Parts: sequence; structure tokens; C-alpha cells
Amino acid sequence: MATDSHTNVLFGLYNDEEDLMRAIESANESGLDIMDVYTPFPVHGLDPIMGLKESRLHIAGFIYGALGTCTAFGVMTWVFTRNWPIIFGGKPYFSVPAFMPITFELTVLFACVGMVITFYTICGMGPGVTNPILDERITDDKFCLAFKTNGLPNGEIDNLKSFLSSTQAAEVHTKMI
Amino acid sequence: MSAVVSPVREPLVTGSKTYHQITEDICAPTERMPGFSFMLGMLFSLLMLGFGAFCMVWTIWKGIGSWDLNRTIGWGWDITNFVWWVGIGHAGTLISAILLLFRQKWRTGVNRAAEAMTIFAVMCAAVFPGIHMGRIWVSFFIFPYPNTRGPLWVNFNSPLLWDVFAISTYFTVSLLFWYTGLVPDLATVRDRASGMRKKIYSIASFGWTGAAKHWSRWESLSLILAGMATPLVLSVHTIVSFDFATSVIPGWHTTIFPPYFVAGAIFSGFAMVQTLMLIARKVLKLEDYITIAHIESMNKVILLTGTIVGVAYLTELFIAWYSGYVYEQFAFYNRAVGIYWWSYLAMMSCNVLSPQIFWFKKARRSVVITFIMSILVNIGMWFERFVIIATTLARDYLPSSWSYYSPTWVEVGDYIFTFGLFFTLFLIFTRVAPVVAIAEIKSILKSGGDQYVGFEAERKKKEALESGEYASQH
Amino acid sequence: MASSSHTVAKTTDQINFTFTGGQKLLFGVLMLIGVICSALAFFNDPADEAINLHHSRFWTNFLHNSAFFGGLGFISLFLLCCKILAYSGWHTTFKRIWEAMMMFLPVSIVFFAILAIGNFAGFHHIYHWAAEGVTDPNNKEAYDSILAGKAPFLNPLMYLIFTVVIVLVWSAFAFILRARSKAEDKAKDGELSFFKKNKVLAAIFLPIGGFSSAAFIWLLLMSIDSHWYSTMYAWYVTASWLVSAVAFTILLLVYLKSKGYFPQVTKEHMHDLGKYLFGFSVFWTYLWFSQFMLIWYANVGEETVYFDLRIEEYPFLFYGNLVINFALPFIVLLANSTKRMTGTLVLVASLVFFGHWMDFFQMVKPGVYYENYKHLKHSHGHDGHHDEHHDTDTHLSDAHNHDAQAEGDDHSHAAVGGDHKGDNHDGHSKKAKSSRVGYAFPGFIEIGMMLGWLGLFLFVVFSGLARAQLVPTNDPYINESMHHHV
Repeated sequence: MATDSHTNVLFGLYNDEEDLMRAIESANESGLDIMDVYTPFPVHGLDPIMGLKESRLHIAGFIYGALGTCTAFGVMTWVFTRNWPIIFGGKPYFSVPAFMPITFELTVLFACVGMVITFYTICGMGPGVTNPILDERITDDKFCLAFKTNGLPNGEIDNLKSFLSSTQAAEVHTKMI
Repeated sequence: MSAVVSPVREPLVTGSKTYHQITEDICAPTERMPGFSFMLGMLFSLLMLGFGAFCMVWTIWKGIGSWDLNRTIGWGWDITNFVWWVGIGHAGTLISAILLLFRQKWRTGVNRAAEAMTIFAVMCAAVFPGIHMGRIWVSFFIFPYPNTRGPLWVNFNSPLLWDVFAISTYFTVSLLFWYTGLVPDLATVRDRASGMRKKIYSIASFGWTGAAKHWSRWESLSLILAGMATPLVLSVHTIVSFDFATSVIPGWHTTIFPPYFVAGAIFSGFAMVQTLMLIARKVLKLEDYITIAHIESMNKVILLTGTIVGVAYLTELFIAWYSGYVYEQFAFYNRAVGIYWWSYLAMMSCNVLSPQIFWFKKARRSVVITFIMSILVNIGMWFERFVIIATTLARDYLPSSWSYYSPTWVEVGDYIFTFGLFFTLFLIFTRVAPVVAIAEIKSILKSGGDQYVGFEAERKKKEALESGEYASQH
Repeated sequence: MASSSHTVAKTTDQINFTFTGGQKLLFGVLMLIGVICSALAFFNDPADEAINLHHSRFWTNFLHNSAFFGGLGFISLFLLCCKILAYSGWHTTFKRIWEAMMMFLPVSIVFFAILAIGNFAGFHHIYHWAAEGVTDPNNKEAYDSILAGKAPFLNPLMYLIFTVVIVLVWSAFAFILRARSKAEDKAKDGELSFFKKNKVLAAIFLPIGGFSSAAFIWLLLMSIDSHWYSTMYAWYVTASWLVSAVAFTILLLVYLKSKGYFPQVTKEHMHDLGKYLFGFSVFWTYLWFSQFMLIWYANVGEETVYFDLRIEEYPFLFYGNLVINFALPFIVLLANSTKRMTGTLVLVASLVFFGHWMDFFQMVKPGVYYENYKHLKHSHGHDGHHDEHHDTDTHLSDAHNHDAQAEGDDHSHAAVGGDHKGDNHDGHSKKAKSSRVGYAFPGFIEIGMMLGWLGLFLFVVFSGLARAQLVPTNDPYINESMHHHV
């Protein structure tokens, strides 16, 4: 029997993304609780039927970018007007046009690095991280629809199995992860 | 299938591939022992790298005096090579970012390799300002940090410092963009591998599972990174052009430099992509993914950017005359018929005249002509930078200090070093990572595969429909 | 899925556009306002002679609007050709709008012809280089060695060739492109010959348009500031047209949708146009910044004079330009959601459209007045040395101050550099000028004349739309465009 730290997963593998999407739709209609869906590539139109909200990464990116803008502009202004004012090439101490290139670059740098770090953090990924894999063909050509079966009575598990087969799942497996 | 694709579009994936075949085809080079041609290429690259490394050590040991730079001509091959490599480093991000925003689906075949090329090219570029400093061991002085020398800050008003920020930001962002795109494909390789390889790819693929939410975030991230990388890629060569254009040197100070440098960068970048991909598609057997249609599209970009560069050359010439400013007029007169007339000729013929052959469809779709052209364009673009840098400096305001410059063997060797570095890294890349973006190809299969779109597919569908098979299939 | 275009015809309710009497009346009224304001500007000069010499208020407005609206015609053609060559499909459903917009090109020839003839006949004094005696070394007062050096390019004949003749050539391309596109509607299903022929035409036009538009812009606009030069200028102007054309397209589409046309144009199309508006605005800013920063940084007197004049005398135009054309679209359209809100998009598009019209205002007006002073100075026989006449000659003093050659009237360009800020201005005349309507800021006459051109432009566009199917049902990309989603 599974211990608490393990998850029992029942999953069906589909051969085509359209079969998968039809299966998700009928699962939604039957009110089944989908654990997750795994695909080899980003399937267009999957997010709305799974009820996934649009990622808010861009908001994070905006904040990081604004931080970069302020850092770059602030540091340059401070250095050239307060800390060590020097006239270069007859330009004023506070020469806004000359600050623009670095300000732009740091805005982009902060936004991109920040977003990438955020992305891997919220996805629970990173160098050397190993997440459990249901089937190795998911990254090849199989589309996977998974249900969590911890604590479900056998009858319901059988229902789920028959649901998977009825929606043209090519294979149905169970796995403890 | 719901994607509506006009039959006039050429298929982007040929050979009626299935998802599994795509995986097999693209992962194959990472899984089999490299062949003879690869070994030969690697050997050649390592030889260049070895000789180049010797010259680099020589340069650092002996100092910049081992080059033929002089008081008049302070920038020669070094900065020419720098600008050339940075320019080449533009195609990758351009293909993945700008073409993504402009919905050019053909980018999927070449973006991965082009991005890798970008990263390697930027590395090669960074070598030159580094060694040009003379004392490379104190090169960290270029970064602003609180220090005990004053604090003596760097000059934030200097375009050369803007370059430091631009190149390092560009390198970082390109690397992140490229690697984030690579993670799902590395997971594909991981799930096919065993033993030691599985362990390594496991670490490299960051624990990717292919969960729907991850894909959703991954797509969102790619799109935002593309949005950010688009102005970034423009800014990088713009800032490189500022190195010249902010000065008051006639021939350097001209306002068209920023967009014209960017167009030139795209031009040479695409040419280098062609050079590499024409070989790679043959050696790695990827003709079904990098099709003649891809090559034709890239040739069109080359024709377009070559013509834009031509417009810029002529604009410069014309405005130099129009300005009524004698130094400006002389600078351009000197470029065209002065001591370095041959480099101007090489630039004009390679960059403006030769791409015009791509007006002919036959030429655009010919692998041989494309390959020759891609080399010619890169030669031409190298000469463009040489013309801008050396020719202009050789004839400055004071005729008594006019000079001539030609490289020493050390300078040539330093250039060869970067070729060695570039090709070695690229060859390693083709063996350790999928050269074509597997997931992206799969996602366009149904709107780009030749069994789904194109006139041929339409015809077959119609036949099937008539014979009644179609209905039963769908 | 099926490529048959008949499915399109059925799903499109409004396939033909009717140019209603009400619309015609409205545009007629707009044109009438334009005519009245033109007459007012021409005959009843409200301002004093110094800023309205030789009816310059009328003529600058004339040039300003001809260049702006004529450019919209050119850029529509250019955009269409780019789209054709770049395998673009999504815009196909409303490509007739651009095909109608480019039909303003033949109309604008009339305006360019008037300007070109004016250079020969001397009935307007927009261009200093066209003035009498500037190239004649014996004419001690008017001779200008710099302009004499440019004379092989800056002369009335070249002007005629590169405005009237070139626009004729562009119009020819526009006519053929449109004729083939229209013929495609009537062709049988799956007929690709028109599509293929237009592809060739587009490929031929792009380099021709690219090269000739530069010369067109140099003569029409850059030569106003006749001593000044910038290699970037032509691209900068083109970018300004591009943004205006996209803004206009958005506005027109929203209007036509409100009338029940283009039901197949969805939020996705508007979103993409919003992206264009955002992207091209940023691109315009990039060109603006590159041009400004390089001139500011190098500080070469021959070049800084252009921005110096604008920053000092036209601060509202100069900074307002950046606020409306960069800050506004950048901040508002940065988020995806705002690009999908029709109201926001319309607001931004209208402001940006007006903003770029103002951009052209600041391209045209300062140079003409500035050069006109010089001309006035010559025709009134002043010797033209700078800085000495401020107090004695209020109207004319500015002319001397702004002389492009800081070194005086010998025009020796060999003398490079020097900061102009110090010696160019004195306080009181600056204030007097910058508050003047029609000179530093558009007044009701400028707006009225703009409305006149707008009315004419809309008339041409609407009758263009009415004379062809609104939706190109046989375009090979039409199905893609009808099912456009991100």
C-alpha cells in the first residue's frame, strides 16, 4: 500500500493531442478531478479547457525591469552628480541621453534574468532537479492524462479506467510516484 | 485539425513525419558515434584553435606591440573582427525573437542552431576588446564597482562602456533564452538515454516533466523573452555603431549608423546561419526539417537586408556630398578610391551586388549558390567593418600623420583563434543537443507538415474525399 | 480547412461597402472647412509680416498636410508589398483598407505638382534653396555657397522629378497592384496568377520605393532646413508615416465595424494591430533617439542647429512629440489587455495619429520660418551679421541668431563644431515667438486645413473601398485571415 508521501497515479496515454483534448473535455463534463496533463509540446488551446489562467510572469517581468531601470539610472545619476562629478567631453554632469543605453540594457537584463529565475522556481525546476516521470514517451509522442487515485475506492478507479479507454486512450497504466 | 493554412504556403516539414519520427530524426546525432566528416571537421577546428591559442598567448605575452597598429590607426583587425562577430551573433536572436513576433513559422527549423551560433559568436566577439586592452588580467576594471581607486568609476557616458553593458546583457539573455528553449528537448534526449548519459541529461534538463502548466508558463516566458530580446538585439548593434558614430570623425559620425549596422548584422548573421545549416542539414540528415523552403526564406532575408545595406551605403555617399562639408566629402572619396579602394570594392561587390542574384528563384533554391553566397556575404561584411575602421583612420585630419596598416601574423592568428573556438563549440553542440527545436517542430507539424498542408496535401485530401476514405479517416 | 473561397463568401455578411450620402456630406464639410481655412490663411494673415511673409503660414500648412497624407498613401503601398513578400496572411481580410489608402497617391500628385511649380514660379517661399540668387556668386546678398554646392540636387527640376514623377511611378504601382487584387475577386476559385503577379510587382516595388522615398523625403522635407543634413532623416520620416498609417487603420476598422462591416475582423486582428502600433512607436522612438543622441553627443554645429532651434523655440513640440508618440503608446499598450480593449486602442490611436501629424508640424514649420527670415533679411537688404541687431530689429533679429553658419555669412563649413547654445538666443524674442499660434503651435487654421486634407483623404479611401469588394474573397490567404487566432 502507498504511504502518505507517495501518490498513486492512474494515467492514460493518447496518440494525438486532439484525442487528449476531447478526453479532457469529457472529463470536465463528467466532473472528474484531473491531476495533471503531460504533453511532448505546448498544445494550442489546452489552457482554456483545463481552466489554466494566463501566467502572470509578465507582471513579475515588469517589476524586475522597473527595478533595473531605477538601478541603472539611479546609480549613474548618483555617481555623476554626487559621488564623483567629472565633465566628460563637455557633457553636463546629468546627461540624460548618454544614460539611456545603459539604462535600457539593465532594464532588459533585470527583467529577463528575474523572469527566468522566477520561472524555474515556481515550476520547481533547476539544475540537477529530478521530478518523477510517468512515462518516458511523454517527451516523445504520447499525450498523458493523469488522475490521482490515493484513497479512491476500487470502483471509482475502475470507472476512471473505463473512462480512459472510452476516450481512445492507447494505453492505461498505474504508477506510484 | 483546426489550423487553417493556405495551400500556397510551402510545407515546413517534409517526409510525412509522425511525432515519433521527429524525435528519432533530431535526437539521432546526439545518440550515435560521430562519423568521419565530423571528426575531420573537429580536427580542423582544433588545429585552428590550437594555432590561434598560441597567437593569443603571444599577444598577451608580448603585448599589443605584436600587432601592426600605430598612432594613426589604433583600431585594425581586432575591432573589425569584434564588430564582425557581434554582427553574426545577431541572427539567432533575430530568428527566434523577431520572427516569432512576426509569426514566421519557418523559424522553427533553424532557430535552435542559430541561437547557439549567436552565443558562440558573441563569445568570439568578446575576445577582441578583451585582448585589445593589453592587460587582460585587469579587464574587470571595466565594470563599475566600489573600489579603492578613488572610488574611481567607469565613464558611463562612453559608448565603449555602453558596449560592455550591451554585450554582456545580450550574451546573458541569449543564453537564458536559448537554454530555456532547450530544456524540454534535453528532457526528450534524457528519456531516451540510459546510464551515464541519462544522468547527465537529467541534470541538464532541470527536471522537466511536460506538465501542461509548465508548458503554459514556458510559452509565456518565451514570448516575453522574445519581446524583450527584440529591442535588445537592435540595441546591441546600435550601441556598437555608437562606438563610431558618437565621434566627430568624418565617415564615422553619421546618424544612419544605428539602423544600418543592425541591417548589416542581420545580413551577415543570416549568411553565417546559411553556411552552418547547409552543412549541418546534410551531415546530420535534417533535410526534412531545414528544407529548401527554409533556405529560400533566409535568402530572401539576405536579399532584403543586403539591399537595405546598399541603400545605407548610397545614402552615406550622397549625404557626404550633400552636406557640403569638405572633410566628410573627402572621407567618402577616400573610401571609394583611396589607398584601401580594394576593400571598398570587395564590400560593395559582395554586399550589394552579389546578393542581387537572389532575385532569381532558381538561385534562391540552389544549395550550391546559397553556400557560395553565404561565404561571399560574410567576406563582404568583414570588409565593410574594415572599410569603416581602417580606411577612415588611415586618413585623418592631419596629412602628416596619414598612415597605412596591414596585419601581422599574430593578428591573423588571433582571428583564426576565434574561428577555431566558434567551430569547435558549434561542432560539440551538434553532438550534445538537438540541433532543431523538437517541441517546436512538433507543434507546427499539423500546420506545416507536408501531409497536412500544401497543394500536394490538398490534392490527396480531395482524392481521398472522392473515394470516400476521407470520411472514415476523420 | 477547405480552401474553397465560397465558404468565405457565405460567412461574410457585408461583402460590399456602400459610401453613404451622409458620409459624403461629412467629408464634404470637412473639405469645405479646409478650403475656408486655407483661404483665411492665404488672404487674411492674422499674424504679422515677419512670420507670415509670402503667405508662409498657408504654404507651410499646405506642405505639411501634403507630406503627411501623401506619405500615408505611400506607406500603405509599402506595407502591402512587405506583407505580400513576407507570406503574411492575417491582414488579408482587411487588406482592402490599405489598398484604398494607397489610392491617395495619385490625388496627392496635384499638391506636389503645385509645390513643384511654385519652386519654378516662385509663388511660395518654403525652400531657401529655391530663392532667387542663392546660387549666383555675383549676387552678394543672396549667394549661399553651401546651397550653391547642393544645387545639383536642390533645384526645382530635381524637385519635380522626385516628388511629382516619383509619386506618379508609385501611383502606377498602386493602380496595378489594386487592379490585380480586384481582378482576383472575379477570377475562378483557386486562380493564383494574380497572386503570383502581385508578388513580383511587390518585389520590384520595394527597392524602388525604398530608394526613391529617401530622395522624396530629402527634397520635400529635409531641404527645408536647407543647410542641415542627417542620414537618418528619411528613415525617421518613414517610421512616422508607418505609425500614423497603423493608427489610421485601427480607427477606420473600428468605425467600419461599428457600421456592421468586417464582422470577421476579431479582437485578434485588433490585438495584432495594437502590437503594430506599439512596436512601430517604439521603432520610431529608436530612430528618434539614435538621430538625436548622435547629434547631441558629437555636438557638431552644422547638425546641432536643427535640434537647438527646436528645443529652444519649440519646447512644447519637441518634448510633446516624445510624450505623445513614445510615452503614451508605450505605457498604455505595454500590457496585452489594453491592446484588446477597443476604447483604449481608439484613444491611443487617435492621439498617436495626431501626435505624428504634430511631428510633421515640427519638421516643417521651424525650418521654413527660420530660412524665411534669412530670405527676408536678404530681400530687405540687411547685411546679415549675427548678434548685432537684436535690439534694433525685433522681427528680424532671430534670423540672424539662427544662422546655420555660426561663423557668419561666409558660410565656411570647414569650421566645425562649437556650441551654439550660447550665442544663438536672447530671451525676449524667444518668448515672443514660442507663444505664436501657427508658428510654434497649431492654431485653428492649421487644424482646419488638416481637417480639409483629412476629409479629402477619407473621401478617397471610402470611395476606394466602395469601388471594390470589401473582403478579398479569392485571396489565397483569406481563410487563414478569417480564422486568425494567436
